[in-house]
Amino acid sequence: MNRAPGRATSRSDTLLFLGCLVLSGGAIALPERWSYALANGVRETALRPVLWLQQRAVEGRTSRSRFQALQAERDSAVFAAQSLTELAVENERLRALLALRGRTAVATIPAEVLHQAAPTDGRTLLLGMGSASGARVGDPVISPEGLVGVLLSVGGKSTVAMSWAHPDFRVSAATEDGTVLGIVAPSVNTEASETFLEFRGVAYRDTVATGTLVLTSGLGGVYPRGIPIGRVAGVRKEELGWERIYRLAPLANPGHLAHVLVLRVPAPAESLP
Amino acid sequence: MSPRRGSSQLLLGFVLLAGLHFYVRPRLWDSRAAPDFLLLALMLVAIRARPGVAALAGFIVGLVNDVLTPASFGAGALAHTVVGYLAAWGRAVFFPDNLLVNAGLFAGGVMLRNTLMLLASGTPAGQLSAGLLVWAPLQALTTAVAGTVILLLFRNWFAIRIEV
Repeated sequence: MNRAPGRATSRSDTLLFLGCLVLSGGAIALPERWSYALANGVRETALRPVLWLQQRAVEGRTSRSRFQALQAERDSAVFAAQSLTELAVENERLRALLALRGRTAVATIPAEVLHQAAPTDGRTLLLGMGSASGARVGDPVISPEGLVGVLLSVGGKSTVAMSWAHPDFRVSAATEDGTVLGIVAPSVNTEASETFLEFRGVAYRDTVATGTLVLTSGLGGVYPRGIPIGRVAGVRKEELGWERIYRLAPLANPGHLAHVLVLRVPAPAESLP
Repeated sequence: MSPRRGSSQLLLGFVLLAGLHFYVRPRLWDSRAAPDFLLLALMLVAIRARPGVAALAGFIVGLVNDVLTPASFGAGALAHTVVGYLAAWGRAVFFPDNLLVNAGLFAGGVMLRNTLMLLASGTPAGQLSAGLLVWAPLQALTTAVAGTVILLLFRNWFAIRIEV
């Protein structure tokens, strides 16, 4: 492996370098479907041992803090559950009066986030769970703070989620009172060190106050209604006469998450009685 | 040292770096500023190898990065290929035996890798400036410190001569 510089080796080095550049360019140009399939294949075979190791490390690091957090959450849940039976009965009675269908049951799948060293980590998240858990492409990913993203690719032992920081992320949203609808997308032109979302497509006649909570609207069929996304942090841009774009401070930070929940929303056919 | 013992020590060194990257790093400090031991392994290959071999090693390390963070597939392979190739050439130009030069090489490698990766993956302006001005220098610093410690402790394993 010791270097022996010379004209011949220089030429072969340059050719090898150019070959690698061409292959990298080819990888960039691959259609997303192929690149996800390729990445999934390598993760499930060659990189399986290292991912297993990383998952054990993440579990080891967070098990103690998770236990303490779980204890606190359990205490709060016990307190909140005391009035739950009465509320459920009342809810069922009102739904029956209005001839509404029963609420769609949403199952959750917990998963560890396996952060990577690459600077693009956070736009996509590698999750330590696979298809055996029942997760499917398109399932929403949430954290206790709010919406994180959506599953892009599901493998046997690992899964990739697109977070709200990904340039392609979009979600149909509404304000907490449901009066203002729009689309939430990552902000393209923000100042340095600021990470904001944009609440786009809000009609010019509608005004949203700073601090208003924005939730998923449930339109589009991917994200169920009512998942918190962020709080309005001011007007980003006004298209005179027809649209306002608001800055939205996201509630969940994909770069710092250790655990997430994947929502297993039943398909329409599954949820029908 | 016999060549056989040397190559097994070298292999052990890279296994150690993989262990640090995939077990110790997520266990102790899982942050965007945490040292990148895979890039460190690439730089250690680049220090010893010809530029072509370093470029190939960079391509493989980059591909591993792309597989684990498929935000923009291929961007990592491109960035690591360039970093490996330039590091191998840079090694011939600068003083190869100086510890500080090695630390600078590690830090420069992280900065260049992050810059190329963010640019090649079409990062929006806000995230780009935060990535380049905040996270890249922090990660470069921690990687340089980690690399210096590893060089001091295991330089015989990697067969690298250092003037201390």
